[in-house]
Amino acid sequence: MLKDVTFGQYYPGDSFLHRADARIKIIILIIYLVIALAAQSALAVALSAAFTLYLAVASHIKLRLLLKSVKPLIFVLVFTGIINLFFTAGSGEPLLQWKFITIYREGIRNAVIMLIRLVSLVLGSAVLISYTTNPIDLTDAIESLLSPLKKIKVPVHEFAMMMSIALKFIPTLIEETNKIISAQKARCADFESGNVFRRIKSLVPVLVPLFVSAIRRAEELADAMECRCYRGGEGRTKLKEMKTRPADWIFLLAAAAMCACVIFLNRVPVKEVFEFWKGMF
Amino acid sequence: MSFITCRGLTFSYSPESRVVINGIDLEIEKGSYTAVLGHNGCGKSTLAKLMCGILLPTGGSVCVGGIDTADAERAYEVRRKCGMVFQNPDNQLVASIVEDDVAFAPENLGLPRGEIRRRVDEALATVDMSGYAKHSANKLSGGQKQRVAIAGVLAMGPECIIFDEATAMLDPTGRQEINAAMKRLNREMGLTVITITHYMSEAVEADRIIVMDHGAVAADGSPREIFSQVEKLKAISLSVPQVTELMYEMELDGFAMPRGILHAMEAADEIEKRAGGGKK
Repeated sequence: MLKDVTFGQYYPGDSFLHRADARIKIIILIIYLVIALAAQSALAVALSAAFTLYLAVASHIKLRLLLKSVKPLIFVLVFTGIINLFFTAGSGEPLLQWKFITIYREGIRNAVIMLIRLVSLVLGSAVLISYTTNPIDLTDAIESLLSPLKKIKVPVHEFAMMMSIALKFIPTLIEETNKIISAQKARCADFESGNVFRRIKSLVPVLVPLFVSAIRRAEELADAMECRCYRGGEGRTKLKEMKTRPADWIFLLAAAAMCACVIFLNRVPVKEVFEFWKGMF
Repeated sequence: MSFITCRGLTFSYSPESRVVINGIDLEIEKGSYTAVLGHNGCGKSTLAKLMCGILLPTGGSVCVGGIDTADAERAYEVRRKCGMVFQNPDNQLVASIVEDDVAFAPENLGLPRGEIRRRVDEALATVDMSGYAKHSANKLSGGQKQRVAIAGVLAMGPECIIFDEATAMLDPTGRQEINAAMKRLNREMGLTVITITHYMSEAVEADRIIVMDHGAVAADGSPREIFSQVEKLKAISLSVPQVTELMYEMELDGFAMPRGILHAMEAADEIEKRAGGGKK
C-alpha cells in the first residue's frame, strides 16, 4: 500500500547531478519549475521537455525508478488530460463532434502540453532533488540558503533539523504503519470494502496507534539527542563542507539561459522561428 | 577512584507522582564494568538518565567525574563524559547516513572538521562498522544499528557509557555483537561501562552487579555474591542464570552444592567431583 512512496528516497550514485552542490540544485529546481510552468508555445514546451529528459538521463537513475515517481500521479494525469481534451473550446472547426463530445485542435494541444508539464514537474523535481540529493545535504543546503532569515529571528536551524529528522523517519513510520495495518487485519479490520467515507473511517484505528508511537519515538529521540550534547544550531560545526565547484555555476547559468529561451520562445510563433532559422543559412 | 557518586539520591517525575528513586547512595569506580538488574518499573532507566544528566535529581546529588549534574553551566560537560545507548536502535539515530549520524555529537561539540572526521573514522573502526560509513542507517540490521549508536556515543569521547537495555530488542546474534563490544570498550579502552539488562547471562560478565527494587539498591556485589542469594532474588521476582538455578535446585534436593556457580563448566566440574570421579 505504501511501498510506492518515493518522496525523500535517496539513491546513492556518482552522476554529475549527485555531485552538484545541493544549494545550486535548489536554485535550479526553482528555475526549472518556472520553465515547466511558463512554457506555452510548442517550441517552448519541446525545449522544457528536452531539459527534463536531459536531467533524467544525466542522473543515471534507472528507468524503473523514474516511472515509479510518476506512477502515483496516473489518475491526475488521465483526469487533467480528459478535462483539457473535451472542455477546451477552440476557434476553428471541431475535429470531432459526436453527441455531446466535441474536440477542437486546441483541446488536443492543451491536453498534450498539460501532460508534458505535469510529468516534467514530478520527474524533474524527483531527479534534481529527491533521488540524487543526500537528505543531510539537502537540509544543510536549505539551512544555508535561508540563513539570512536568522537575522530576523526565524529559527532556520531548527527548521532544517526538523526536516532532516522527518526525512529520516519516513521509512521507519511506513514500516510501522504496515505492521499496524497487518495487526488490525489479523483482528478482522476491513480496509478494502465500503465507500470512501467508510474506508477513511477504517483508517482511524491505524492512525491512533501510529501517532502514539510517533510521539513516544520523538521523546526517546529527544533524550538521545540531548545525551549527545545537542543544543541547537549555535556553535555547531559540520562534518561535510558545502562546496560550489565551477561546474555547478555553469549548470546554473545553463538553466538560467534555458529559462530565458523558454520565455523568449513563448512570445515567438513557430513560423517566425523557422524563418529566422532559414535566414541564418 | 569513583567516577559517578550518588548521595541520598531521590527523584520523582512530578511532585504528586510516586517517588521513582528513593534514597540511593552509590559509587561507580572509574574503569569498572557494572550491571544493573531489577524488574520493570524499579527505576533502573531513571537512574541511568540521572547519571548522565538528562534528568536532574529532586533530592540528593549525582556527581559525574567531579561535576555535579545539577550545575546548569557544566551540563554539557557531564553529558560529554557520560554517554548513553538506548533500547530502540531506530529511535536514537538522528541521521539517515551512518557517518552523518556518528558525526552528530562531535558536530554539536563544535569541533573542527578534521577532528570530526578523525573521530568518526576511529569510532566506526572501534565497533567494526568502517565498511558501512556511507550506508543508509535504515537498511542495517538491529545489531548493526546499535553498533552505530555506540559509535555515535564514542565519537563524543566519553569516559563512561551507560547501556539502557541496549540488547533488549535484538536477536541473539545482535545481542552477542553488542555484548562483545561492551566488553572490549571496558577491557581494552578502559571505559567505565554500566549496563542495564534483563539478561542474567549478560550480568554475569560484569565485575559488579547492582540489584534495584522499588527505587532503592536491594543488593550490591560481585556476580558470585549476588547469585548466591537465590531466595532473595526470587523474592523480588528476578531470575538467576540457568546454571545457578540448576545448582540451587540440586541443593534443595539434598546435594551439598557450593553457592554462586555461574558457568556451565564450573557446574560440570562440581557435579563430577561429587559423582566420585566416575569413568574418565
